[in-house]
Amino acid sequence: MKPVARFAAALLGSVFAAGLYAGAANAEVTVLGWPGGPEETALRAAADAYNAKDDVSEENKVELLFFNRDGFWDKLQADLAAGSDAFDLNLLATYSIGRYAPFMEPVELSDEAQALYGDAVLSTMQFDGKQYGVPTDLSLHFMYYRKDLIDALMSDDDARARYADISEEHLGTAMEPKNPDEWTWDDYAATALYFTKAVNPDSPTRYGTVLQMKNLLFNIMVWQSTARSYGGDWMDADGKITVDSEAFRKGLELYKKLYDAGATPRDSLSYEFAEANAAYAAGQVAAMVQWNAAAADLTNAEKSPAVGEVTATIAPPAGPEARATHIHGLGLGLNKSAENKEGAKAFLKWLSTEEAALIYARAGGAPALSADAVSAVAEERPDLVQLGEYAGAYGYVMNGGASANALAIYELQAKEFTGYWSGQQDLDTALANVEKGMADLLK
Amino acid sequence: METTHRLEWTLLATPLMMFLLVCLGFPAIVNLIYSVSDISFETLRSPEISGFGNFAAVLTDSGFWRANWFSLRFGLLTAILECLIGLGLAVFLAPLFKDRSWPIAILMLPLMVAPALMGLMYRLVLHEFAGPVPHYLWAWFGNSPAFLGPNSAFWTLIVVETLQWTPFAFLLFHMAYQAIPEELREAASIDGATGLARFWRIELPLMLPTLAAALLIRFIDGFRVFDNVYVLAGSGAGGSTTSLSIYIYEAFFKQAAIGKAVAASVILFAASFAVLYGLNRLARRRRR
Repeated sequence: MKPVARFAAALLGSVFAAGLYAGAANAEVTVLGWPGGPEETALRAAADAYNAKDDVSEENKVELLFFNRDGFWDKLQADLAAGSDAFDLNLLATYSIGRYAPFMEPVELSDEAQALYGDAVLSTMQFDGKQYGVPTDLSLHFMYYRKDLIDALMSDDDARARYADISEEHLGTAMEPKNPDEWTWDDYAATALYFTKAVNPDSPTRYGTVLQMKNLLFNIMVWQSTARSYGGDWMDADGKITVDSEAFRKGLELYKKLYDAGATPRDSLSYEFAEANAAYAAGQVAAMVQWNAAAADLTNAEKSPAVGEVTATIAPPAGPEARATHIHGLGLGLNKSAENKEGAKAFLKWLSTEEAALIYARAGGAPALSADAVSAVAEERPDLVQLGEYAGAYGYVMNGGASANALAIYELQAKEFTGYWSGQQDLDTALANVEKGMADLLK
Repeated sequence: METTHRLEWTLLATPLMMFLLVCLGFPAIVNLIYSVSDISFETLRSPEISGFGNFAAVLTDSGFWRANWFSLRFGLLTAILECLIGLGLAVFLAPLFKDRSWPIAILMLPLMVAPALMGLMYRLVLHEFAGPVPHYLWAWFGNSPAFLGPNSAFWTLIVVETLQWTPFAFLLFHMAYQAIPEELREAASIDGATGLARFWRIELPLMLPTLAAALLIRFIDGFRVFDNVYVLAGSGAGGSTTSLSIYIYEAFFKQAAIGKAVAASVILFAASFAVLYGLNRLARRRRR
């Protein structure tokens, strides 16, 4: 499929995404899953495998329920608050766990879960020290970059000299191009500027990077690794809000600098996942930080003919304090109003075994498995090796990122920070507004 | 006779009253209670009355007034543009429509598209790397504006809304124009009136009630805009494209500030009622 068609499909998918109802006439354990993507395919495979087991009685067999992905969390919120028993198990995400926890019950995982996932991944499904779900899929960020362009830059002395001139002019230091795996955010910025036509008319690409800057909570998750790598966090260990910090300023200023210099498409303030992928896939962008979910398309020459063969993925650039990638998990947890709690608990326990995780992974899911566990599927799913490795080494959840109002905090930051990036308010005002809002939300 | 008449009236009116009580009365009462309560998703069934704090929070929130300003500007501008273009099309293309109806069917097509899909379509059409509009602008002029940038998103949304809903205004004006008796035009022509004079002195005055109705309907629709704006631009950088409907939606679902969202909707309801009541009184006074 051409990139344009895929972009259109992605947009349509976000509205219509497989609003399917998988006939639950005889449902005994009803599972409300994440529709319309690899998660649905993987969950179907896992449910089929579970239902085929001899020791699963008829009344405990699993039926799946899917509705539209658009507005999913809002609808789920309303259903849970209303005490709906239409499903026994429901989808859960790290950033929404605190909001849904009052309507759910903690669960017990299998004995294998600890070794299978590790603490960092299990913590993506925890709230208030309790386990609320099985972490079926993990999302984090890769840096996608054009190997051909970077190789050409590294091997050309004239290009290196131009790179040094541009970095000195825009960043205040004459820099040398480096291997992307050694990049700091300064290297990322220098490269983005070098590959921008508005800065370097000889650039082979129109833009050096593509930033997702739409007023959307998921875009803040992508951005915040810059602040994290400078040592930023939402709160310190005592619960004091620490957003108005040098680390957050550095991260926010980096985006502002690149946007103002024209190193990212001028419509970036309306860009999210699909738009950024379309820009990169068009071959007019040298590097970008994007969700791991884009890897299957952007590294595939059939799906992305302009860049598929020359795109590589690594962890996002480092800062002085850390190399960091936001992680959040999708998982399944137990509805407090479930009709068949025992059957639901039994399915969850099985879902957290190695057997289930491997079935789920082979069917297209993205569980973050430990090095030992992932070796069994490494040949079929090499991306899962990278996923597990990066999650363990660089993964973080902001302090408060799983609290009851985490979603509202992301929304607040998205509104205020996009206000700064678009020039509607200054940085001090944006940070002050966020601190004030967070103080109310974290009371 | 009187008793029978009263019984008939009661029997006939009961279903309507029940419908109004259940479908409008109950939600309205719940909304009023929620608007003066400390309420969250956990306490939906046991709200605690807390006074008028939610109303104070809304009225002192600059975001609320900004959303009002957006909705007001958006509603007024789109209503005026749609009515001007719709009126122009109805009048200037009237000879074309006299013997052929298929051009009208073509003009009506945008009305058949759901507003959310319209937003989605323009997200694709205006995308720098996937959309045909920026593609040709780059090919012909070596540049393309940021259609959804912070300074242009509002105007892009105005154009998108106008393109979709002008056919509605056009349809109203077309009907009104066709309803003007041909003899009036012929009489004016015999008296030597030019086309322009005919329009200003005869046709436009006769179409004024339609113009007022079209402006009002389109203003209400533009003021409460949600779907196409939300799909195309979200609430905008820094909240710059937050309409009042989007403000209420985001307060309710995104910030879980249920009391504040409901208080905002109560204020909107009261303001709408006051405006419509005022317009109604004005219209009655003019009729007298």
